[in-house]
Amino acid sequence: MSVIILGIESSCDDTAAAIVQDGKVRSNCIAGQEVHRLYGGVVPEAASRAHLSHIVPVVQQAMEQAGVALHQVDAIAFTRGPGLMGSLLVGVSFAKSLALSLQRPLIEVNHLLAHVASNFADPPMPNFPMLCLTVSGGHTQIVQVDDYLDMRPLGQTLDDAAGEAFDKTGKLLGIEYPSGPLIDRLAQQGQARFAFPEPQVPGLDFSFSGLKTSILHFLQKHTAANPDFVKQNLPDICASVQHRIVTILMRKLEMAAAQTGIREVAIAGGVSANSELRRQFQQAGQRLGWKVYIPRLEYCTDNAAMIALAGYFKYLRGDFVAHDVTPMARWSMV
Amino acid sequence: MQDQNTFTYDLRDIAAAAEFVLAKAGPRKVIAFYGGMGAGKTTLIKAICAQLGVQDITASPTFALINVYAHPDGHTQVYHIDLYRLRHLEEALDIGVEEILYKSADYVFIEWPEILEPLMPEDVLRVHLENLGDTQRRMGI
Repeated sequence: MSVIILGIESSCDDTAAAIVQDGKVRSNCIAGQEVHRLYGGVVPEAASRAHLSHIVPVVQQAMEQAGVALHQVDAIAFTRGPGLMGSLLVGVSFAKSLALSLQRPLIEVNHLLAHVASNFADPPMPNFPMLCLTVSGGHTQIVQVDDYLDMRPLGQTLDDAAGEAFDKTGKLLGIEYPSGPLIDRLAQQGQARFAFPEPQVPGLDFSFSGLKTSILHFLQKHTAANPDFVKQNLPDICASVQHRIVTILMRKLEMAAAQTGIREVAIAGGVSANSELRRQFQQAGQRLGWKVYIPRLEYCTDNAAMIALAGYFKYLRGDFVAHDVTPMARWSMV
Repeated sequence: MQDQNTFTYDLRDIAAAAEFVLAKAGPRKVIAFYGGMGAGKTTLIKAICAQLGVQDITASPTFALINVYAHPDGHTQVYHIDLYRLRHLEEALDIGVEEILYKSADYVFIEWPEILEPLMPEDVLRVHLENLGDTQRRMGI
């Protein structure tokens, strides 16, 4: 018997909807991209009003692309948190109304758990236990994954997220927000010849706020001597910063693998698109005998396919929620 | 240099700086933190949250815009807001900042508060941070 799950994501900037059928992604749509092109208009960043105007078209688009009609949907999965209350509210209310009108069960999904679940979109399927490094603009954590839905964080950032470290470095260098992809491109033309200190954080937790400050001081010192320092050395500065951010991530991930003895290792989240992270991750895999997993790019950034995927595994467990469910801005994975 | 309204500190002594802010705030619950990148806004707010007894991990809200922590009193919240990514007052209204600002019972700490000026409560405490290099910071209230 075929199971069709509609997934809805609205935890932060993007409104997204996706259809997953029997664990396979049939459509994966994000407003602000396809819908934005189709319907025109401006998308004010992080506005719940934008989610409101996007949610119906993006769900319609996901249904059409999958060739699925509403009455065929078996359950509706939605991001309950963590995220921005106003944004979450739109997705949660929409999912509840739709579930009520279709008389279908409702499945709550944790956004961070769903990022890990993006690794279950395509074969090969990881074996458990697995480690996953989730890195994005808002999150940086290492998760031990014991089963599709059983996971717990082993370490996380105590201040800035890795993606934020990229963005704020970009700001200091005069690169447009979000600057991660551009820093990545510039870094490929440069050499990582400037050294930045590695933060001393115990255990498997991360810290990026000290790095930000040391980059600031580094730039202040050099531009005082040479006002054109940034312009003349931009690719090398980008390569150096990127190298440091990635080595901070990889060192903790290798530590987690050594401590747990786990050799199935995955990455997830928007920053897993970074070419240097992918390179060092693959290299570490070869050196340490890991089996490595990287989701396709469209499942790395915020998306609804990962919500529908996590929703599918919850559906198989019969893990549904009542219709009086409310969003949770703070929601730990466990 | 310390006087009634300025406080120079080393990041190792951040707890003293947090105490200074809370003492200055008195009964006031809304505190706005000004200062460029790397001035130490998030670090100081983390220290203030620690002082209040907040148990949650107090990470940067730049991406999430608003972090909500549980206050140890069990019924109020501590809001940690970061408007860095927003450009207009309207966007701040859209994410519900106005409601949070005027809830009165909850602590509200705001980074990059400039766009919010027209909406700021009259009794807001303004904290200006300055990076003096390495681990030295100066705070003016």
